[in-house]
Amino acid sequence: MKRSLDSDQYTLQDGANIAVVGGGPTGSFFSIFALKMAKMIGREITVTIFEPKDFTKDGPGGCNRCGGIISELLVQTLAVEGINLPDTVVRKGINSYRLHTNQGSVFIATPSLEKTIATVYRGGGPKGTLGQDMESFDHFLLNQAIHEGAVHKTFRVDRIDFRNGRPLLFSKNVEIMQADLVVGAFGVNSSSGKIFEGLGFGYREPSNVTAAIAEISMDEDVVVGRFGNSIQLFLLPDKGIKFGAMIPKGPYVTLCILGTDVGARTVDDFVSKPVVRAVLPESVPYRIACRCLPKMNVGAPKKPFTNRVVLCGDAGSTRLFKDGLGAAYIMGKAAAKTAVFEGVGAHNFKRNYLPVYNGIVFDNYFGRFLYFVIDRYRKTTILTKAMLKVVEKEQRDPKNGKILSSILWDMFTGNERYKNVFLKSVKIKMHIDMWEGLIKSLIGENR
Amino acid sequence: MREGELGKTYNDGEVIFKEGEKGEVMYVIQAGKVRIKRDSTSGELTLGVLETGEIFGEMALFDRLPRSATVVALGGARILSVDRKKLFPTISRDPTLLFKILETMSQRIRKLDDEIGKLNKRRSELRIVCSNIEKTCDTILQEARRIIVADSGSVMLLDEKEGYLSIKAAFGLKSDTKIRLKIGEGIAGDVLKTGRAELIDNVLTDLRFLPGTTKVTSMLCAPIGCEGRNFGVINMSYASENVFSANDLKLIRALAVYASIAIQNEQNFFNLKNATDDLLRRATLPDAP
Ligand SMILES: Cc1cc2nc3c(=O)[nH]c(=O)nc-3n(C[C@H](O)[C@H](O)[C@H](O)COP(=O)(O)OP(=O)(O)OC[C@H]3O[C@@H](n4cnc5c(N)ncnc54)[C@H](O)[C@@H]3O)c2cc1C
Repeated sequence: MKRSLDSDQYTLQDGANIAVVGGGPTGSFFSIFALKMAKMIGREITVTIFEPKDFTKDGPGGCNRCGGIISELLVQTLAVEGINLPDTVVRKGINSYRLHTNQGSVFIATPSLEKTIATVYRGGGPKGTLGQDMESFDHFLLNQAIHEGAVHKTFRVDRIDFRNGRPLLFSKNVEIMQADLVVGAFGVNSSSGKIFEGLGFGYREPSNVTAAIAEISMDEDVVVGRFGNSIQLFLLPDKGIKFGAMIPKGPYVTLCILGTDVGARTVDDFVSKPVVRAVLPESVPYRIACRCLPKMNVGAPKKPFTNRVVLCGDAGSTRLFKDGLGAAYIMGKAAAKTAVFEGVGAHNFKRNYLPVYNGIVFDNYFGRFLYFVIDRYRKTTILTKAMLKVVEKEQRDPKNGKILSSILWDMFTGNERYKNVFLKSVKIKMHIDMWEGLIKSLIGENR
Repeated sequence: MREGELGKTYNDGEVIFKEGEKGEVMYVIQAGKVRIKRDSTSGELTLGVLETGEIFGEMALFDRLPRSATVVALGGARILSVDRKKLFPTISRDPTLLFKILETMSQRIRKLDDEIGKLNKRRSELRIVCSNIEKTCDTILQEARRIIVADSGSVMLLDEKEGYLSIKAAFGLKSDTKIRLKIGEGIAGDVLKTGRAELIDNVLTDLRFLPGTTKVTSMLCAPIGCEGRNFGVINMSYASENVFSANDLKLIRALAVYASIAIQNEQNFFNLKNATDDLLRRATLPDAP
């Protein structure tokens, strides 16, 4: 009896109010799907997105700072969902990447050479970008949510209390809304996690590391000529840096450095490395137009929900070092599905949302192991050489199974879950090839 | 269309997939349009045109049957492919991903229902029009009678399959309405073959003439056809000789031009009806709508 009362109490009824704290990708995805699904079952709900940032503004102020790579899987899944990224949002379609190491570089391409990965800006573009006919990813998604019927308010939520069992939201000490559900989609780059920690249900802000992003400005023709439709990926034997990537976007290249020891000097140190300098133009000038040190979620909190509150996206669990936007989609949608079809009680989230949440947490264990292996490869010259040899061979011969190429592709493009990459990596054929590559490297053979 | 963005670019007319092929991927149009077509007994049929944002080729992923239509780019298109090997694991983790595909499919079934309804209606209309080919021939003959004085006449059309001319409308003929002439046979068969209109003052001196029960001496005969393909003749005759003038020959030639347009239209309607019937017969859901 009690259960059915609980169920009714936590089922969203007509006229229910949902407050979404943060209008980044997670908040927008949640809103889009919650509204779509509510329409499907003929329920009238109101979704209000609180987001103070103006995603049309240039520079870090209008931007939820990231590399801006939309993985192949996310591009395709969104297209199937009917959310097609327009040309005004996509800065470049990507069909390949070049992997640079201290021992040389290899080119890895999609089999069809179809451009299946998108690069985007999360805000109005690097500082000084003006009057461009382009739209940011976050602005596009927020507009999609508004199109579905969401209301956007520019308040920053700074306090949440409970009154009569329902959350009450405040901004600058003024009560702004009482909600049937609060969705925390505020990422890791603000102090908003403290508001939810203060609710006392056991939520702790995710553990995080600092990453570095710089926008390198050069002539668009130079970007096209030197980078084409490829991402340049750097696996260098530096301590504290997992990898760096250069991502072409119109007249800019986004340099993104991820690791455990990244700071203010990282970008300058990185671009002065010979391997990196070789990729940048020598004769034509380039300059760093914009830079930032955003935080990155590397450890999900254990308790991401309570009655009428759910945390998703970077504020909850996300993929380790890749495809955070893909995770934002998965988690935003999973929360929406639970809220609309099941209810907004802790038991609803436990049964329906937590398995998806934990799925990502679990997958990251495979990710950690794979990064551990890749770290060994990038730090050990002979292994780096063997890896390059195998990939080169795979790329040369179209009939050859491209196991290592596809592992590296999936690892860095976010095309696959880490578990599937791990399963590919235990294929015996790859290990035979690696041994062959290793022996050739040891005897110094060049072919 | 901007180069360098998502998907693969196809030029105008370039085939994205062909009818009968195995389907491993579905597609989403990123920019431009595509045409879905299918070969039928009466030629190539356009089943639909899809635009930016629409999906196609999804049915083969689910029923694993060969593609039931060919899809080509219309004026250039940029297309994103979605591999079944990626799509199905994603669907198994999140079955709600099918909502959008189901919505698209049900919209297409509705559209198809609607089109089948319209085609059925059109087919009944066509049946009325097509059963009137004799009436058109009769109208032509009435017109001929209005401008040329004659005591008998006929419009004969070629049965292309059997290869003979038969009478579709006539006046003043007795039992001769059942007559059939092969191409090149008799004066009418010869006019059909040569494509030249003729004025004959006395048919009894013409070796080609095949006498019937109706008395005929003077005769005008003009081919009906267009673009070098003759599909009928119009005959006007008189019992006495030397009746028709060169002016009558001109008139019957001009009338034959109009007659060929009218009959051609009828035949086009007839072909359209056949195509419609064919489409209705094969109106199983195509792979692309
Ligand atoms: C260096 C770096 C590179 C990355 N590169 C990629 C990449 O290439 N591809 C990829 O898929 N992922 C990448 N990621 C991960 C990706 O950026 C995140 O996973 C993604 O932004 C998470 O989205 P979100 O909506 O959860 O959070 P966010 O994008 O951080 O959005 C949170 C929003 O909440 C708002 N907000 C915060 N507090 C409040 C409040 N109190 N009231 C109202 N609004 C509030 C903020 O203004 C912000 O707009 C990268 C991350 C880093 C750090």
